[in-house]
Amino acid sequence: MMREQEIKKAIEKSTDGATVTVLKKGRILVTVPAAAAVSTLICLKAVGFEHLSAISCTDWLEQGELELVYHLWSYQDKVHLMLKTRLARENPQTVTAIPVFPHTQTYEREIHEMYGVHFEGNPRLTPFLLEHWEGPPPMRRDFQMRDYVKEKFGVEERIS
Amino acid sequence: MDRADIAKTLKSPANWGQKYSLWAVYFCTGCGVIEIPPVITSRWDAERFGVLPMATPRQGNLFLITGYVSLKTMGAIIRTYDQMPDPKYVVGFGSCPVNGGMYWDSYNTIKHLDKYLPVDGWIAGCMPRPEAIFVAVVHLWQMIDKGMATGYQKYKENYEYYERNQREILPHLPKFAGEKTEAVGQTL
Repeated sequence: MMREQEIKKAIEKSTDGATVTVLKKGRILVTVPAAAAVSTLICLKAVGFEHLSAISCTDWLEQGELELVYHLWSYQDKVHLMLKTRLARENPQTVTAIPVFPHTQTYEREIHEMYGVHFEGNPRLTPFLLEHWEGPPPMRRDFQMRDYVKEKFGVEERIS
Repeated sequence: MDRADIAKTLKSPANWGQKYSLWAVYFCTGCGVIEIPPVITSRWDAERFGVLPMATPRQGNLFLITGYVSLKTMGAIIRTYDQMPDPKYVVGFGSCPVNGGMYWDSYNTIKHLDKYLPVDGWIAGCMPRPEAIFVAVVHLWQMIDKGMATGYQKYKENYEYYERNQREILPHLPKFAGEKTEAVGQTL
């Protein structure tokens, strides 16, 4: 737990408004405002978190927010860090992390397609996995999936 | 060969030939394809049944749709099926091609494969065992013997129906490879 506490101190020192919680050995949770996410990533990369495993997105419909989670891993300390940040659900926008981790382009492209988050500065927010999609972003919770499926694929009459 | 089969074979040598040379197109659509490597290799050895994988659709005549079919894959499946020479047989493998399976309310997978392609037989289950493939192959032999495996003829006869259904879900699919369609900013 020694190293985790050192990391916590380093993050709190460099980032304003960051809440750092050491959940257990090898697991840290950081919550930052959306504007500070990329600068926190730069700071974390300097501390030793050189591997960004994934970016995930959660739709908190009741709070009207989308939550981005950057999963980082430190090889030298064997620590998994989750950097969480929240965006408004209406017209969500944030800054791309490509300058820090170039491979985030693909993750951001996917989140843009599935949740409609616009990443400022990502040059390739083009359609990715869906085939000529015209509806709303499908992974949002207010997307009426069954109505869409009925309309798109048709309903088979039940044989009784 | 059994002496009793000679008369039958001479009656229709083509059927006899097609029966024992089923070349399965090596096309992996979903999770069901995990059953294919043990089937074609030493453990279950599909070659006993005359089934071998073929890398190109132009030399294959058996199309196993292994598992769920997403919209993007559906375009490739239609393209592949159109390239296969007659006679060709389609077998839906697993629950998902039958009625959507566990993806019955998914926005990106097709629900009923037989709306888009003529299917000669189904293998139910999630996952079906490799033995089920052999049961299906033996069943397909009987169908070929009796002249019942005529999906490819039905496809030609009812092409309007199949094409209309294909267009409904894939309006941007080119009619043939290389056809220019109105691009909608889709880059791969």
